[in-house]
Amino acid sequence: MSSIYFVALPLLFGFATPLLGKLGKNGIAYVSTLMQVALFILALSLLLSTSWSVEVISIAPPLGISFVLNKASLFFVTLFTFMMMLFSFYYLDLRKSDPYAHEGKFFILLNMLLASSIGLVLSSDIFNIYVFFEIAGLSAYILSAYKKTPKALEAGLKYLVTGMMASVFLLLAITFIYIHLGSLNLAVLSESFNTLPYNIKVLISVFLLIGFGFKVEIFPLNFWVTDVYEGSSSPVNALFSSIVVKAYLFVFFHILYLFMPDSEFGTFLIYLGALSMLVAEIVALKQTNLKRVFAYSSLGQVGFIFAVMASENPSAVTAAFFIILAHSVAKMMIFLSITSIEREHQSVEIETLKELNSPFIKVMMILAMLSLLGIPLFAGFIGKFLALKDFAVNSAYVVVVVIVIASLIESIYYFKIAGNLFYKGEKSKGEKSKGKKREKLTLTLMQKAVFTVLALVLLLVGIAPWLFSGFISEASQVMLDSTTYATTLMGGLK
Amino acid sequence: MFETFISYLNQDATIQAMVDIGSMALFFIGLFGLLTHRHILRIFISVSIMEFAIFLFFIGNTFDKTFTAPILGDGHVAFVAMNDPIPHALVLTAIVIGMAVFALGVSFAIEYYKLTGRTDINDMNEMSES
Repeated sequence: MSSIYFVALPLLFGFATPLLGKLGKNGIAYVSTLMQVALFILALSLLLSTSWSVEVISIAPPLGISFVLNKASLFFVTLFTFMMMLFSFYYLDLRKSDPYAHEGKFFILLNMLLASSIGLVLSSDIFNIYVFFEIAGLSAYILSAYKKTPKALEAGLKYLVTGMMASVFLLLAITFIYIHLGSLNLAVLSESFNTLPYNIKVLISVFLLIGFGFKVEIFPLNFWVTDVYEGSSSPVNALFSSIVVKAYLFVFFHILYLFMPDSEFGTFLIYLGALSMLVAEIVALKQTNLKRVFAYSSLGQVGFIFAVMASENPSAVTAAFFIILAHSVAKMMIFLSITSIEREHQSVEIETLKELNSPFIKVMMILAMLSLLGIPLFAGFIGKFLALKDFAVNSAYVVVVVIVIASLIESIYYFKIAGNLFYKGEKSKGEKSKGKKREKLTLTLMQKAVFTVLALVLLLVGIAPWLFSGFISEASQVMLDSTTYATTLMGGLK
Repeated sequence: MFETFISYLNQDATIQAMVDIGSMALFFIGLFGLLTHRHILRIFISVSIMEFAIFLFFIGNTFDKTFTAPILGDGHVAFVAMNDPIPHALVLTAIVIGMAVFALGVSFAIEYYKLTGRTDINDMNEMSES
């Protein structure tokens, strides 16, 4: 019954937060963090146990609402709880200096975001997926408009309008699926979807692609992403980039693997992902705002993951899981660093980094950027190497070339940022910089500990990938194996 | 003349065609509104119209007028010749969710208007593409 806790506990906590008012602001923060630690320990213990393999929970068989916790979804649940736990630890100290997010309300939204992301990953019913899709969307809209400044509200509005469009198209796909197949259960759909006429299959695929395309930030539908990242506050960006997008990516490919074996559609998605990566990296070159740069970098990495996942074979999915792990950790480090920089300097322009006086944050940003670039001995290398190897084996050389070019462009703006990080001040202006002494940016012990843990994960995955490859390759095989998924789900329903 | 027209309207195929064409027309009215209007509230209304077109399409295609409501009682003892309750449940859920999102969007728009006095989405350029 453990899978129900991953959704029920954060939801319950989220809605009970107003009742916990007597605990005070600190009490709510500590209880919330403690709950996330407990969830992470539960997920990790399931991940490490060798005897555990799959768990199905069904509520009311005729409705067929059920959760499936297998190795693939467990990998994502562990990642989300880990990220949310570290975010909460970081936030415990950040909160005190934060003028707008010290209230209990913020924890309702955080826990709803966690619950709905995990719910998206666990649901095996397409309407349940729609409901969690909307809950995740609602909490994300409010989080991005939380500051109530014109910029934040504008980001919230843009996010909300695109989110509404996405839900319209997802609902249209669900309508067509139900009218033609009479069921919404993924197990039933995986068996009967291929009996549909070709036109209807194409129609449903296109609606699903548009609906999820807005949320997984794929090329023509990602115009809103950078504005949302720039307008919302930096800690929230860390959550968007390392949790929410990953949940949508998992669900999209989960549905795709279950009932779309059309290889032409897969090839189309590979090129779409590669194009998305290339366009995002090219536009990122011109940006001067740190949040925008890393938003475009996020778009590029998500496009890359999209292309790799669309290859639909076990080695590619293993590579994609490695990239997802590396990207989540690195983006969490980057956006938490930007949070501290913004708090100190009230600016997120790249030029601001010249005035940054904190060797610790500089080292952390460099580590994260090296990993995003895919330098050996960092986590990003493993995924990128495996993915490029897989594309080369399948002789998709165009995709390899596009990805390598995109990575080169990526390295240009990372070096620009690194150059600003190590800026010593021009000699002619030596006196001027002496007169204006830079203040040292201080981090609390807890914040340093969070950064250290994240950096250790990056290095550990990079240096000793065999520690992780066991469960990651197992997870990728489970994710691709739609027949076993359908039989376990049907078994759970009876 | 008039009777034949009424009987023609009462045919199942006519009703089906009216539901399909009507809901698709409503969907495109919403899409047209979304693409032509620049006022933020009108955009919300347009998206809502698109959503409701889908609800109409969904219910219209899964509803049989000769069947009864799926409730036992009044002489009904078994679940035969009854409408499928699942589409109704789904549409009710979707209406509630859609209304929640709509209300949230309107509240954002009001806050934004109070701060900046702007309602036109073309003027929403706090964040400039450099």
